[in-house]
Amino acid sequence: MGLLSGSASFVRCAVQGEMPEHFWDFVADRVAANSFTDIDDTLDEYSIGWVSVANMFDSEFAYSSYAAGDYVVLSMRVDERKVSPAVLRKCVAKEEERIRHEKQLPRLSRAVKLEIKERVRAELVRKSVPVPAVYDLCWNLSDNTLLFFSTSKKAMALLEELFSDTFDMTLVPQIPWFAALHMLDGPDAEERLEALRPAILI
Amino acid sequence: MDLVDLIQEKRFIGQEFLAWLWYKSEERGGSVEVPGLGDVLVVFEKHMLLEYGEGEASEKVICRGLQTELKEARAGLGLGKKPEQARLRLARGDYEFGVTLTATMLEFRNVRLPKTVAAADEGDDPDSIEGRVLERIALFEELTSLVGELFRMFIAIRASDQWPDELRRLRAWVGEAAEQ
Repeated sequence: MGLLSGSASFVRCAVQGEMPEHFWDFVADRVAANSFTDIDDTLDEYSIGWVSVANMFDSEFAYSSYAAGDYVVLSMRVDERKVSPAVLRKCVAKEEERIRHEKQLPRLSRAVKLEIKERVRAELVRKSVPVPAVYDLCWNLSDNTLLFFSTSKKAMALLEELFSDTFDMTLVPQIPWFAALHMLDGPDAEERLEALRPAILI
Repeated sequence: MDLVDLIQEKRFIGQEFLAWLWYKSEERGGSVEVPGLGDVLVVFEKHMLLEYGEGEASEKVICRGLQTELKEARAGLGLGKKPEQARLRLARGDYEFGVTLTATMLEFRNVRLPKTVAAADEGDDPDSIEGRVLERIALFEELTSLVGELFRMFIAIRASDQWPDELRRLRAWVGEAAEQ
């Protein structure tokens, strides 16, 4: 959703950092080193990494599909094994009841309850299918800006970390203030902006 | 100042941009002359979100209404509320876009791109996909450029000695609506 098709919502960011020489080799290496690893058949609870914008199951990037003209296009994929609190409560209650009945106990100790909860949670997590989330981005290399196709703060935080780990560069969301600093001309531009106070429009 | 505080402190800039843009969009019946771009059509559409006050004391008003009639929203401005979110139609040349802009973070939400011939191409080979990607990127960038140039127009006035006169005109426009 977003870059290739459908309705799109995005934020614009500035990319800060040094562009290395042999840039495309650098991108190939770094994307491969941080590409997404599937956890469907493992016991891991969480996985994050890059996949192709055209195919969320492609983390090999044949044909260097992260490259399109003067842009780097990627999707950030996050898979998480999650257990709903309601399901956890139900299964814990069921197991507590079973143990009480089996051991003929009127009530269970706090320690036993804690052990049951951890064991049941681990079992439910192990059996659950990871929930995927995919977020597209496109990085304009000629002006070092990036469009990130999500307005979720959580997704933005994940992106900032993955982008920094992958490329050693920082993303700065272009809120109006930063856009203004960038656009206003003149030697005293920053002073003039700093002096602005909210206006009363009535 | 950390980013969260900065965003909060400077959000008035985005809100005043949206209010100013709304005023400009009605000055010449939707047509705004943008330096370097020529005439850009700007129409405030179906809904707007207004905010008043800070933090826990802030109130939000959601107004859904007909194109540019948006009477409740105009009345809201007249009570000192500022636009936080607005649905816009923007057009230049053959391209027309729909977008909901948010004031605080300048997010582009629920973007509607112009329909183009290439969009119909369903090829799955790498070249077709790359072609579609590049075309969509070009359209997104056209949109961000339109909004960017409108913002540039605003901030150049806002941070200059032209602002007091512009504010006077903006207030007169807000006042007109309050009287209707």
